[in-house]
Amino acid sequence: MSIPRVLNRKNRILLKELTKTDFKLRYQGSVLGYLWALLRPLMMFAILYIVFAKLLKFGSDIPHYPVYLLCGTSMWSFFTECTSQGIQAIVSRGDLLRKISFPKYIVVVSATLTAVINMLINLVVIIIFALLNGVTPSWGWFLIFIPLFGLYLLSLGIAFLLGSINVKYRDITSIWDVIVQALFYAVPIIYPISMVASSSEAAAKVILANPISQCIQDIRYFLITDETITTWNYIDNPFVKAIPILIIFFFLIVGALVFRRKSKFFAEEV
Amino acid sequence: MKRSIGNRTEISTDNDIAISVKNLHKSFKLPTEQAFGLKQAIFNRLRGIKGYKEQKVLKGLDFEIKKGEFIGIVGRNGSGKSTLLKILAGIYYPEKGEIVVDGALVPFIELGVGFNPELTGRENVYMNGALLGFSNEEMDTMYDDIWEFAELKDFQDQKLKNYSSGMQVRLAFSIAIRAQGDILLLDEVLAVGDAAFQRKCSNYFASLKEHNQTVILVTHSMENVRKFCDRAILIEDGKIIKDGDPKKVAEAYTNLWQ
Repeated sequence: MSIPRVLNRKNRILLKELTKTDFKLRYQGSVLGYLWALLRPLMMFAILYIVFAKLLKFGSDIPHYPVYLLCGTSMWSFFTECTSQGIQAIVSRGDLLRKISFPKYIVVVSATLTAVINMLINLVVIIIFALLNGVTPSWGWFLIFIPLFGLYLLSLGIAFLLGSINVKYRDITSIWDVIVQALFYAVPIIYPISMVASSSEAAAKVILANPISQCIQDIRYFLITDETITTWNYIDNPFVKAIPILIIFFFLIVGALVFRRKSKFFAEEV
Repeated sequence: MKRSIGNRTEISTDNDIAISVKNLHKSFKLPTEQAFGLKQAIFNRLRGIKGYKEQKVLKGLDFEIKKGEFIGIVGRNGSGKSTLLKILAGIYYPEKGEIVVDGALVPFIELGVGFNPELTGRENVYMNGALLGFSNEEMDTMYDDIWEFAELKDFQDQKLKNYSSGMQVRLAFSIAIRAQGDILLLDEVLAVGDAAFQRKCSNYFASLKEHNQTVILVTHSMENVRKFCDRAILIEDGKIIKDGDPKKVAEAYTNLWQ
């Protein structure tokens, strides 16, 4: 698969149209339509805020904690949406794969792009909340696109890898749901990482070696407060620091290789 | 689990061969147990059961199609015609053998691929057009013609689920005939519809023939084979049993049941 073929005109048209359709269909038939892209994370935020910030008094040591929390939940939704939609993409678009010939990665990428659009809408909400909450805007905000891109690449790698196995073994969808539930507690979204650090430094380091934590903490660092504990300012060992990056590359490379090998038979197996 | 894969290459030259197929084989692995899932796969592996049955669908096909030829592929249900077409289209991989396709190939395995009942007629037209390789701007220019030809102008902004099946086919056909390619693959798609629709199809075939378009038509209609094809191929049980003059092939096809 050479570069010019991958990005040729026909594939671009197809990718654009599939993404558009996916996005339209997502909110088809709902009264509030696209507004749900905004309402969902806001509602999740409201629940978490009441339970964790108000009732359990988490995060009193973190400036702008409500925005900090909203940022974490939105980025988490982005990751879960991206992976679960991506994993199911090949099966749910099976109808197309069986009838026309086109590069199969397009269906996976278009499914994840819908999640990207939702995330960008959420990002606007986060920024509005941040300004309302008194965060000073800075050029450093633009740096969030680096960890965002890292998070996207990780999701894409997972979607390619698990999505190609899911064609034959549909159990993957259910297994992934459980893994996502478990991962939610392994990532410092609802609890501040400082809480873990105060009882066990080793545990905090393990949490920060997870690429999802690394990306979310980096986004918070650039966007909300530089008091955020990140992989880079908390872990000293350069080899341990490299772990999140290596994990991202691992999923991306293995995912792409497995997908390329298996995609030849998707049309027959799906 | 390693499977061998044959070659399918796409080129673009001025030679007069549009498609050449050499020693093409294809078999499918049909799961013997209904259950899809990891548990079954692990059990089967442990018990040494393969969990599938191999069914040979194509058993060594050889043929060449010249540019400008209108070819009919005929055969009983289950003889392997559609599998052959899907391999030519690049949807399935050949298991063994060589396929060389010279020029841009447009397959119609089914009319209205990607049609979504929840979207409006307009949205579906653009989606279906994208699957044929047309950009939004290109679709804009033919948009009115498509609805004109389908005779469905008043239904543009209705959801597709409110169309009758006949209306859907008319719309899909109206988009499909815009497709431009060097080689067209048609799989029985046009065997539906009422008399008026059939006449439109006939006119379409006639215009293709007039323009010396390379066409591969899979059909059960011997009338169409006799009328439009320059050559026909009869496939029976995964092998070519007759290749040549459409009248003789049509006769051989009819004789399969005698």
